[in-house]
Amino acid sequence: MSKGYTGEIIRQHADGRQEGNYIAVHVDRVLVHDPALALLIKDFEKLGTPIWDPGRVLLTVDHFAPPSTVERANLVRQVLEFSKQAGLTHTQVYQGICHQLFVEGTGVVPGGLVVGSDSHTTTAGALGCLATGMASTDILYTLVTGNTWLCPPDAVRVNLSGKMPDSVMGKDIILYLLGRSGEGGYLGNALEFYDHSAHIGMDDRLAICNMVVEGGAKNGLFYPDEITAAYLKNRDGAVETGVWDTLSVPKYKKEETIDISFLEPQIALPHSPANGVPVKDAVGEKVNQVFIGSCTGGRFRDLEMAAQILKGRRVHDTVRLMASPASQKIYRQAIEKGYIQILVDAGAVILNPSCGPCGGIDKGILAAGDVCLSTSNRNFKGRLGDPAARTFLCSPLTAAAGAVQGVITDPRDFL
Amino acid sequence: MPLKNTITGRAWVLGDNVNTDDLHPPSFFSMDSKRMKEGIVAGMKNLNASEEEEIDTQGLIIVAGDNFGCGSSRETSVRALIASGVQGVIARSFARIFYRSLVNLALLPLVCRTIQAVVQPGDTLTLFPQEQKIRIGNDRFFDTDPMDLHFHRILESGGLIGYLRREMSVESKEHGRGI
Repeated sequence: MSKGYTGEIIRQHADGRQEGNYIAVHVDRVLVHDPALALLIKDFEKLGTPIWDPGRVLLTVDHFAPPSTVERANLVRQVLEFSKQAGLTHTQVYQGICHQLFVEGTGVVPGGLVVGSDSHTTTAGALGCLATGMASTDILYTLVTGNTWLCPPDAVRVNLSGKMPDSVMGKDIILYLLGRSGEGGYLGNALEFYDHSAHIGMDDRLAICNMVVEGGAKNGLFYPDEITAAYLKNRDGAVETGVWDTLSVPKYKKEETIDISFLEPQIALPHSPANGVPVKDAVGEKVNQVFIGSCTGGRFRDLEMAAQILKGRRVHDTVRLMASPASQKIYRQAIEKGYIQILVDAGAVILNPSCGPCGGIDKGILAAGDVCLSTSNRNFKGRLGDPAARTFLCSPLTAAAGAVQGVITDPRDFL
Repeated sequence: MPLKNTITGRAWVLGDNVNTDDLHPPSFFSMDSKRMKEGIVAGMKNLNASEEEEIDTQGLIIVAGDNFGCGSSRETSVRALIASGVQGVIARSFARIFYRSLVNLALLPLVCRTIQAVVQPGDTLTLFPQEQKIRIGNDRFFDTDPMDLHFHRILESGGLIGYLRREMSVESKEHGRGI
């Protein structure tokens, strides 16, 4: 067996049914967002069945948040009517991006198994659970039955060692890993991170797990440790410890090690998240839009690091800087710490928490010829607007440095 | 409902790592099937069709390379393929969410590692899902990988909702006996 901790979690959630290589498992929590649910409402009406456990479902309105067209406004209305009729108890409207709200609330815990109607559901694996993305119809199946079918993936163990340099963030680690593996380099695998001595904070872990799907992975998780325990204690008060210690020692298909102390800031060139190179190899390219936000790069530490560079500086006059906290909670914390003030003083436009700018849905759509530095997770051709625009993915430190200089800049110049 | 014996269509040939944003740009997310279909045409122009080309999506069979359908889980990309009359999808490998969506919505996915080297855009393809074969023209055959039993059962049920209905009817019968 080479199925890692993920395989153990699947085994503990199995309900005894198997078909081919697929095992039916109980699901602990389900995440569903506005566009994914909108596609299902008619199917639900036809089925006429209730939701298996409304208390285990987090519904977010974060994609059309707030809606920018009449069609989307109608979809949001239908989604909210559905929520009421189905008796959902955790529906959050415009409160933040689903992947952030999923880990801010209680219920997603180490050893758990959670699914969501979005490829970036992998984010929650940072808490030491199996978290994976599905499309709408799979989510319908889970909403009705409380189950899903999974094939236990081959697990790859990634050891992270060495002290993290001040110029490096979780985003740099995952861009480096993806650059090394290539797009689809971990197709169908579980990526399991062991933080031996790096002491990578939770916000950085969430950014790393968020993007494992860009390498094709089924899920990514951090083996739970004292950083996980501290996060849960802060979130839930009391923490059940030792959940993970009861599991047998996992075995792996492959093991990789990254010494982070040698890592430099990374940037993914257009048009793939797997085009990672050291920022120093891309410096000097002119940019005219910078986006700091999304479920990858809009957390508290992301805003804190951006503010560190932007404090007392002005955004270059050829650049439009947009910043969007990943949730209202983060927004409030960033206000309290003065980071929002620093960003506004530097010339940033603050957008409400939403998926809009990252998914090319609304706010900040790129024109042909635009060059964007973004802390989000995908720079596919045409995703953020016109197919003739170009997007580079980087950490909030690198994004802030670029916003000040008007060209791609190594953040170490400012640190 | 057993799988169809044969499916015939014209090849639409794509490369490696084609993502769902390429295939169906996010701005075309809509519940309106006309708008959804326009997204596939926009995707084809992004990927490999010329601006001037008159595009007929009816009866296409996609032949892609590795990691087909990576990126966003938006199910509209698969729904739009179905609405546009695409008949089947062949790839050397699939991104997992996209593969599940094809099966869940009963648009036949086949894994084939050899056809990519020889297929030409517009070739007439015949799929034989039961025999695990694909034919180009009249006489060139290619093997496909066996499909997992779970996905086979979903396809036989006409998609995941059909599979769920089947499960629910079995459960209610069992429940009935209990009473």
